[in-house]
Amino acid sequence: MRAALLTSLGAAVLAAGCIPVQIQAPDEPIEINLNVNIRQEVIVRLERDAAELLDQNSDLFGGTTP
Amino acid sequence: MKRRFVLAGIAALGLALSATLAVAQATDTVLAQARANGLIGEQADGYLGFVPGAAISADLRGRVDQNNIQRRQLYTRRATERSVSVNEMAAAVACEVFQRPRIAVGERYRNEAGQWRQRTAGADIDVPSFCGE
Repeated sequence: MRAALLTSLGAAVLAAGCIPVQIQAPDEPIEINLNVNIRQEVIVRLERDAAELLDQNSDLFGGTTP
Repeated sequence: MKRRFVLAGIAALGLALSATLAVAQATDTVLAQARANGLIGEQADGYLGFVPGAAISADLRGRVDQNNIQRRQLYTRRATERSVSVNEMAAAVACEVFQRPRIAVGERYRNEAGQWRQRTAGADIDVPSFCGE
């Protein structure tokens, strides 16, 4: 009786162990946007320089329009 | 007598200056006209570009190229000062151009994805994703 119990328990454990753990690969590739983030950070830092360049060289760029 | 010469000299200088300004103004007008006519437009990379299919005269092409060369010089100088790449400095200026904006209603512009759009009164400009708020 005990042996049977152990056996079935073992079988259950075994069965559990055998259940394939499904690790599904995502459909879309994981995007690493590190590059974009660094870029945005740099561009935010350059905002004042960019505005200054525009103001000092308004002949090269279009007129300001509201 | 001497004074008259000096006065004449000043007058000549003034004439030369106004002539130079007039030339610069004329350059602007050609580019402004081309923008308004949808032949050229601002791009998300910080330079002027030619709208596909537009008939671009050799004169206009030259002016746009010259404008872009001058822009590149500005970007390069400032990029060196700030230890960033020229492309980053150019992109930062593009953000200003797109956000301020320096694109008038009716003008065409090229978005980050490379597509040409026209600014309309009702719609927002397609600002590049790399721009801050």
